[in-house]
Amino acid sequence: MTFTTPWLLLALLALPLLWWLLRVTPPTPRREHFPAVRLLRELGPVEQTTARTPWWLLALRLLAAALVIVGLAGPVERAGGLPLGQGPVLLVIDNGWSASGDWSARMLAANAALDRIAREGRRAALLATAQDPSGAPLVIGAPMPPSRLRARLAVLQPEPWPTDRAVAASLLRHWHGRGVVYIADRIGSPDPAADKAFAAALARLGPVTEITEPNPAAQVLLPPLTEPGPSGGRLIARVGVLPVPVRQTATILAEAPGGRILARFNVSIPPGATQGEAAVPLPLELANRLDALRLSDSQGGSPSAAGVFLLDERFRRRPVGLASGDAADAELPFVGDLYYLSRALGPYADIRQGDLSRLLADRLAVIVLADRVLPAGPEADAVRAWVAHGGLLIRFAGPLVAAHPDALLPVQLLAGERTLGGALTWGRPEHLAPFPRTSPFAGLAVPSDITVTRQVLAEPSVDLDTHSWARLDDGTPLVTSSRLGAGRIVLFHVTANAAWSNLPLSGLFVTMLRRLVELSAGVAESPGQAVLMPASVLDGLGASETPGPAARGLAADRFTVTMPSPLHPPGLYGPENGRLALNLGPALPPLILAPPIRGARVEALDGMVRERPFGPPLIALAFALFAADLLIALGLRGLLARPAMRAAASILLLGVIAVPASSRADIAADDPALVTRLAYVVTGNQAVDQLSRAGLQGLSDFVNSRTAATLGPPKAVVPGRDDLSFYPLLYWPVTPNAPAMSPAAVTALNRFMGNGGIILIDTEGSDDGASGSGAGFAPGSGAALQRLTRGLAIPPLTPLTYENVLAHTFYLLRDFPGRFDGAPVWLASDPSNRNDNVSPVIIGSDDWAAAWAVDPDGHYPYTAIPGGDHQRLLAYRFGVNLVMYALTGNYKGDQVHLPAILERLGQ
Amino acid sequence: MSEAGPVSSARDARRAEALGAALPPLLVAARRVAATVAQGVHGRRRVGQGDSFWQFRPFLPGDAVARIDWRQSAKSDRTFVRETEWEAAQTVCLWADSSASMRWRSRLAPVEKGERAALLLLALAALLLRGGERVRLMAPHSPLGTQSLSGRDALEKLAQGFMQSLMQARAEPAFAESLPSSSLPLPRYASVVLFGDFLDPLSAVQTSLARLAAVPVNAYVMQVLDPAELALPFHGRVRFMDLEEEGDALIPRVEGVREAYAERFTRHQDGLAALCRALGFRFSTHMTDQPPEQALLALYLALAPGPEASGEASGSVALFRPFGGGTLGAARG
Repeated sequence: MTFTTPWLLLALLALPLLWWLLRVTPPTPRREHFPAVRLLRELGPVEQTTARTPWWLLALRLLAAALVIVGLAGPVERAGGLPLGQGPVLLVIDNGWSASGDWSARMLAANAALDRIAREGRRAALLATAQDPSGAPLVIGAPMPPSRLRARLAVLQPEPWPTDRAVAASLLRHWHGRGVVYIADRIGSPDPAADKAFAAALARLGPVTEITEPNPAAQVLLPPLTEPGPSGGRLIARVGVLPVPVRQTATILAEAPGGRILARFNVSIPPGATQGEAAVPLPLELANRLDALRLSDSQGGSPSAAGVFLLDERFRRRPVGLASGDAADAELPFVGDLYYLSRALGPYADIRQGDLSRLLADRLAVIVLADRVLPAGPEADAVRAWVAHGGLLIRFAGPLVAAHPDALLPVQLLAGERTLGGALTWGRPEHLAPFPRTSPFAGLAVPSDITVTRQVLAEPSVDLDTHSWARLDDGTPLVTSSRLGAGRIVLFHVTANAAWSNLPLSGLFVTMLRRLVELSAGVAESPGQAVLMPASVLDGLGASETPGPAARGLAADRFTVTMPSPLHPPGLYGPENGRLALNLGPALPPLILAPPIRGARVEALDGMVRERPFGPPLIALAFALFAADLLIALGLRGLLARPAMRAAASILLLGVIAVPASSRADIAADDPALVTRLAYVVTGNQAVDQLSRAGLQGLSDFVNSRTAATLGPPKAVVPGRDDLSFYPLLYWPVTPNAPAMSPAAVTALNRFMGNGGIILIDTEGSDDGASGSGAGFAPGSGAALQRLTRGLAIPPLTPLTYENVLAHTFYLLRDFPGRFDGAPVWLASDPSNRNDNVSPVIIGSDDWAAAWAVDPDGHYPYTAIPGGDHQRLLAYRFGVNLVMYALTGNYKGDQVHLPAILERLGQ
Repeated sequence: MSEAGPVSSARDARRAEALGAALPPLLVAARRVAATVAQGVHGRRRVGQGDSFWQFRPFLPGDAVARIDWRQSAKSDRTFVRETEWEAAQTVCLWADSSASMRWRSRLAPVEKGERAALLLLALAALLLRGGERVRLMAPHSPLGTQSLSGRDALEKLAQGFMQSLMQARAEPAFAESLPSSSLPLPRYASVVLFGDFLDPLSAVQTSLARLAAVPVNAYVMQVLDPAELALPFHGRVRFMDLEEEGDALIPRVEGVREAYAERFTRHQDGLAALCRALGFRFSTHMTDQPPEQALLALYLALAPGPEASGEASGSVALFRPFGGGTLGAARG
């Protein structure tokens, strides 16, 4: 533990003084009211030893003071020093493929180093020794405070290619500063000279702290080998490691497409060895379906790009069936056909031997027939069908074929064979001509010692040239081929054994067969100059991702010699059916340790831990103690007995608990049950709805100002959707083009009327020729009214007259105009007793809403027709009567009978 | 605390209202307390105005004919006159300390001193009124003035007047009395009962009481104290705040002065007792943590001494005499 400002600790020396002061200063007295205080005052000189602050309270205060001092001094836990030299510190980080295994530890170490740099108040610059995926050249960043550098550090990633120490070394040579922190992977880069230059350049830059894994253990997957075996060979995974004097183990996962793990096996590397190998424990069919081999780091670290080996078509082994016409001695060593074929194909293919019918039953990519005649019949048909489905039939000539050429040959053969350089011929054994460019064998070197002594001859034809994949020097075809359906038939015009030529003895034979077998999987193209674009690349942790913008295509024949770089990241290249893999492992040189840096101080990677300053918690604790001290002091003075102080203390102790504000107000504002209001039926016509709202608002205001009723703002309702039971009066404007009511709406309106509600149906004008001043304002409204009210339970109607209760409920009315006047108003002629003799429906056409409407400025937007303030006043009065009728029912029913009552009283 | 400050009259008015609201319960409590003590009209054991029969005597010339008791006379040849016992109602003057120091209670006591004093005063008044005595409130600013009260509704009136005087004293500290003033004329030979804490200097107490003694009256001094005033149950460093402008006292360590205080307090009590004895007053102390009935019984016994006790009183006034211990009032007609 160290302190950022240790001299502040000197203040601890003042603690005894504080102790003495606290001891001398008596505690604040409690305050007590006391009636007999006079007697106390008369006691005269009293004992002077005053009550002391209790020792524990004193200790509490001293502890709090000490905590503040220590906290301000800035204690830092797990602090470590680094020799940092002068000027900005250069932070060099290896972020090549080999850094990915313990990348998080490296980031932690880098941050820890930045902690120390920040504590020293220094600035730092960053140099990552591997290029980032953008392909930008390496640079040393500008020196900046460590807090800002951390953001740069956070985006740093291990890259799937080696470090570029040559460029780094040249950058270092131009860096002017002393003090380097180097987080090294200690793996030699592909260029040993660059490593040396890099180490020298670092050593020149003053005190170097090399933070690294003391025992670096890098593992690289090398290209797997295919090993011939009795059952057709195995895939041998190879792992390259740094030579260490102990036995190492690598765990490899065999992955199928989709990331399914088909096998997990260990590779054991002997002490001191640089590589180990183990067979993939999978049957060949399964091994052929492998997508990748992946090193599983059992130590829990992250995988690296070098720990992934993508398997492309070159590593898919295909089952090849072999059959010979001469079953007796086909397998004889050095004599039999199949002896040569199985040895040539074995390393690369899964070989099945046996009867042709059995081979056809198997799933095979290639069938090789050595001097086997296919006479016309079911067998030939089966083979033909198999080839037409995509099989590759490779046939070798021989005495039998020469004698009985059949149909399943790429070219027509001349009967008999041609002998070259035999005892009875003039000719000499022929050599092979270079392969034509269109041949799958193109590019293969032709050894000069291959001679052909006998062969079958193709019947000359115009397209013989296009069928020929290999020729002899004299132009006669040696290998001919032709398509058959989706498949292909290839004929070697010689035998598969050394009887007719020494081709089967040569390495070319193996390569040619291998190319042919590769052909069977659809890799029709031979490696050439074709540029394959990256399809899926690996990132620094060995995970697949889409290629970045810097990734370029790579010529097919450059795959084996290209070192992965930002331009060519490791991954799969090429089209879907012809993927080639660029792997990091094969491109890397054998792993060696990078040369040590002279004079560097080496720190272990896991020894670098983040510093933890804990001054602020100490000060927080001190303040908590002070708060406790305050409470205690209040308690000692007797002030906590007051409820207010106690409440304040509780708040101090518990903190403020926010009580969410109740949302009752919101509920109340929206609850239709809490306020009486008028409602109107939404017609869907915006102008009509606005008029309804404005009219009912004007009527509500009028009612509120003139009567004891208090109405809220009007509400728009949709019958059938909204609950209508809250509203005493429903204003329903019926427009000529109103759509029909839904059954639910009709039901709701009927129930509304049945339960005592009143509907005021207003056609807002009437047909031409109708009575009243509104005639002609709403042509078709009569029909619309009939249409809309068809389902409603409307009782028999009668015109509203002065004799009705509605004309008496508040004002005594003889006319009931709205915006228009003169049209009759209809209501139930004989309302049922059940409903208080109140008519459930009132129908008119005087456009009352327009008469009631008031715009926000207080003006009446609609002129009354024929006009006059009196008409509008009467309209309002009718509205008031209507509201009262709705609210009070037949309360004013006696008014109607008043004349009769008076008459009776008079008698 | 500024209970005595005139600026806070609004708050004090509120408090007085609260105090007044406590009146009915206080009355009830007073009546309940009074009921536990016996009551009765005290005959003077001599012939005079009254209801109770005292004696028959022969008709003498000059007697009104209407006074002849014909029933008795019919028993013999002589004519008798019926005489009743002289029953004189005594005026008892009541006073209670209304100063701020009475409105205080410690944690040891259930009620404030002033509250207890008021309870005792009203309970005694209830007792006395039931016994037919006249009661007068010694409060110079009370609306009752020098009115003596008797009868059925006297207790309510008295209680109202008393509470009003308390409210006035609370609202206006100048009206508060920590010792009885002699500004009110007192009937000579009246009985006076004083409730208070009497923590003022002895000289002031003596001046005040001597003025009473000069009237002369027969006084009973009931000192109402909080137990904390006796025990000083505080610890540590305490600043004792005054309630009546006496100045604060900062005691560095209360434990250290507790004995000295107790000694000083005892001296004060002894001085008070001696003072009262010298003036012929009776003196007793009531602690608020004790039931009020005790104090009331002591008061009652003191105000109604038996024959043997009557000589002890200052002599000129014979206090009431009950007919006899447990059967008080049984002889009422």
